[in-house]
This record gives sequence, C-alpha cells and structure tokens, in this order.
Amino acid sequence: MDRPKKPAPIVNDWARPFWEAARQGKLTIQQCKDCKKPIFYPRLCCPHCFSEDIHWIEASGKATVYSYTVVENNAPSAFIADMPYVVAVVRLEEGVQMLSNIVGCDPYEVKCDMPVQVTFEKLDEEFTLPKFKPI
Amino acid sequence: MGRLKGKVAIVGIGEVPTGRFPDRAAIFHAVESARLAIKDAGINKDLIDFVMPTAALYSPQFNTELVTCRIAEELGLRNAKTNCQIFAGGSSGSCFLKLGGSIIETGIANYVLCVHADRLGTGVTAQGGIDLFSTAGISAEWEVPFGQHYSAIAGLTTTRYKYETGCTDEQLAAVCVSNRKWAELNPNAFFRKPLTIEEVLASKMLSTPLRAKQSNMLFDGGSALIITSAERAAEITEKPVYLLGESGRVTHFVFSQEPDLTRFGWAEAAKEAFGEAGITPNDVDVAEIYDSYPIYQVIGMEELGFCRRGEAGEMYLKGDTWPGGRLPTTTNGGMLSQGHTGAGGGVALLVEAVRQLMGKAGQRQAPDAKIAVETGTGGTYMDAQVTILGTVIP
Repeated sequence: MDRPKKPAPIVNDWARPFWEAARQGKLTIQQCKDCKKPIFYPRLCCPHCFSEDIHWIEASGKATVYSYTVVENNAPSAFIADMPYVVAVVRLEEGVQMLSNIVGCDPYEVKCDMPVQVTFEKLDEEFTLPKFKPI
Repeated sequence: MGRLKGKVAIVGIGEVPTGRFPDRAAIFHAVESARLAIKDAGINKDLIDFVMPTAALYSPQFNTELVTCRIAEELGLRNAKTNCQIFAGGSSGSCFLKLGGSIIETGIANYVLCVHADRLGTGVTAQGGIDLFSTAGISAEWEVPFGQHYSAIAGLTTTRYKYETGCTDEQLAAVCVSNRKWAELNPNAFFRKPLTIEEVLASKMLSTPLRAKQSNMLFDGGSALIITSAERAAEITEKPVYLLGESGRVTHFVFSQEPDLTRFGWAEAAKEAFGEAGITPNDVDVAEIYDSYPIYQVIGMEELGFCRRGEAGEMYLKGDTWPGGRLPTTTNGGMLSQGHTGAGGGVALLVEAVRQLMGKAGQRQAPDAKIAVETGTGGTYMDAQVTILGTVIP
C-alpha cells in the first residue's frame, strides 16, 4: 500500500519569505520596527502594537524545549511510518514559540527545557521544514 | 460587566444516548434531542421562534442540513423566525447561552432551541477520525506538517504540566476513574463498566505520557436545550435554571502559540464569571469541567479556583469528585466516558449541569444542587469559557 504523502504547509502570502529562507537553510522570524517585539508565526501586521512596519530577521536557531511528546500510536496516516517521533513546542531565544519535531537523538532522551538547535529537513522541492536537534 | 445574570433561564433539556448507531441517520440525533427538550419544557412547539444548531463535523451534507432549517421543518416549528448556526467547537454549549440569552433579553426571540448532533462514531472510520482531528482546528501551515494531532496536543500539555507541578500519572488516571464512576450511573453514556487506575495505566501509549484510556473516543449523539426569559420560565416551570454569570478568554488559534500550556485562560474567565454571579467556588454544588483528556479537567479545576495549583489530581484520586464526594465533577462521565460527539461534548456538559440543577439526574443526582459551573473550550483549547448556572439568584 502506498504511504500517504506528507502534508506540505499551506502557505499564506505574507509567510512566503519564511519558507523561502527555510529552503536556503535559514530560520527567520519577523520583528516589529515600532515596538521591537519578535513575531512568529508571520503576520500581516504586528500582533502587539498593530504596526504595519515589520521586517524579517534571521533567528540564531537556538531554542529550548518548552514541552514535548513522543508519538507512539494513533498518528495521522502520513506519519504512521515515522513512529515513534517527537512533537515539541520550542522557545526560540528571540522569545517566540513554534511547533516542530526533535530529531537526531533517541526520542526518549528529550526533556523539558533542554537546549536545542535548528536543523533543516527537506520535505520536497518546494518545502524544507525547520526541525530541532539537541546541542 | 455581564447583563444577563438572572434574566434568562433554561427550561428544557433533551439528549439521546451517545454511542455507535449505524442504522441511525445523523438527523435522528438532532430531531429526537430537540423533541425531547420541547417535551421536557412542557411548551407548545410553536412557541419556538429561534433555532440555533451547532455545526456537525462528520459530513458537509449533514452540516448543511443544520444550516438550512431541516430541524425546524422536521419538527414543524411553524413560528420559527430564524435558524442560525452557532459554532465554537467544544465551547459551543457555553456560547449557546451567551448568544441565545442575549437574543432573549433583547426581545429578538422568546424561545431559543439550541441543538447539537453529529455522527463521528459511525460516520467516519477510526483512522478517518484520527486524520480528521489531525487537521480540524490545527494550523495547516505551522503544525500539520509536523505530525500534530489531538493526542499529541494532550501529550504536550501533560508533559509540561507534570514537569511544573509534579502531578503523577496515577493522579491523571484517577480523572478517568472518577468520570467513569459517574458514567456507570448514566444511561446515555457509552462506557459504563467500572474502570481502575491500573487498567488506565496498562492501556496502550498514544503520545507520551497520554494513554489510550486517557483519550476520548468519538461517537454519535445529540443534545438540546431551550432558553427563554426568566419571567416566562417562572410561569412554565417550578425550577428554572438561571444564567448567573459567564465569561471567556480566547488565547490562541495555533496551539504552539499558547503562552502558558499549563494554564490557558481559565483563571481570568472564571474570575469574571464568578464575579458576575456574586459567588465563589465554595458556593458551587456541581462542577461540569470540560475534559476530552484528563489534563484539561485537572487544569480547569485548579484555574477555576476549586483547589490550589497542583492539587486537583489528589481530589480526583481521593474521591472528592466522585458520586458522594464533596464536589461532584463532570457528572455525565465527560467525553472520556459518556463519549465525544464533536461540539456536543461541551453541549452535553451544559445539559448535564442543567439536569443536575433541575433535579433530574436520577441515580447520579447531586444532593440539593443549587449552583453549577460549566466549562467549555474549542479547537486546540483555543478558548476558556466559564458559565455559572443556578436555581437561585444570589
């Protein structure tokens, strides 16, 4: 039986620079030029002060694991072959959170507040996903 | 400041059993629940002038029937002026009261019929249900590509909560046991056999530390309620159930954007709801706390102020929340034991709160219940809705 294809991100226009950068191995987030706050996921305007003056910055890629789970059973169809895999909410050092996978280690070695570093996994010709591995 | 305290009341409830009914079309659950609610209210059906269905997830065809007035036509509601869908996922029940109550108080309608029905037990396959809930309410750009789904979401919440509070797997399993003790007494519940902590902890691991018996399961089902003004309620029933207070907080759409995965917006919403009602958690006789997974029932209990942070697990373990306990909690068995019917999991909790206050809860009746709190949350726990109901107006 053919495995279902992994779901690609359904991209909003204003987030295209994020995915373009990820394809080049760079993790980018937005920053508001008025209130200076970091913004993720990409927005049309600043969710803090509503400014339209926002720009892209490259993140360091350093983060900590805020929380994690090891998926052992009942995964969505496209991810059954990956089990066990780690889903985690990470906190970038710039101060924003994102969902990703922790890779490059035994899934059962992942802990809360563990330091991790971004790594990139190619999904297809169009998309590369930012994932994280222990430092 | 809320303006509905004591102004509107629920006067009728209806519910069909939650389960797997391959021979029952989805509309059965809607029409039969609505019919039972009208009978329970003891009113002429033609008094209903506003029909307010929630959405159904299992089929766009059935959902469209709810949108396009099928309930009104099936029941012959000749004086229905409006049929308009209200949908906020698992907090749809809480939203029924805010919106239905406002429509009553402003005079737009006299009797609002709120109905939920869905067919997630037999309308989709088991893997189909997992796949549906790996996309429904989950960001297609920022989470779906990473294998996110609801068991993983509950796992993420549980991991961090355990890390911060020291809550144990045994305490989390005790939530399932507590809910099951109530479901044993609930003829509309799907899971009615006794459950032990050992059985919960021996069940299959889904997304660590969440196990299969700590996960809700999807079923067919339906429930309904009727809202009217406090004045009309007093004329037609001896025990109107008044809306005493409500509030809510929207905290995220993308789950990973939630600033505090161990708290959500419950504390702020509860403070306002209790403030409007003019009561404290000590005055509550029955707590219908939204479950879907045990961790959310633990967090809800604490953030509403029924105990200090980190102590709810012990309440479930010691029996405070069980039949006969000091705070009867999630007394229909919740989505963990009555079963999850989509938006209906929250509607069923609201209906159960009303049932307890009306004194119609049969074997699981909480003694002398006058004040109840109900909570609801939709999507990936995107909001925190708190509703306080009572047979007295403090």
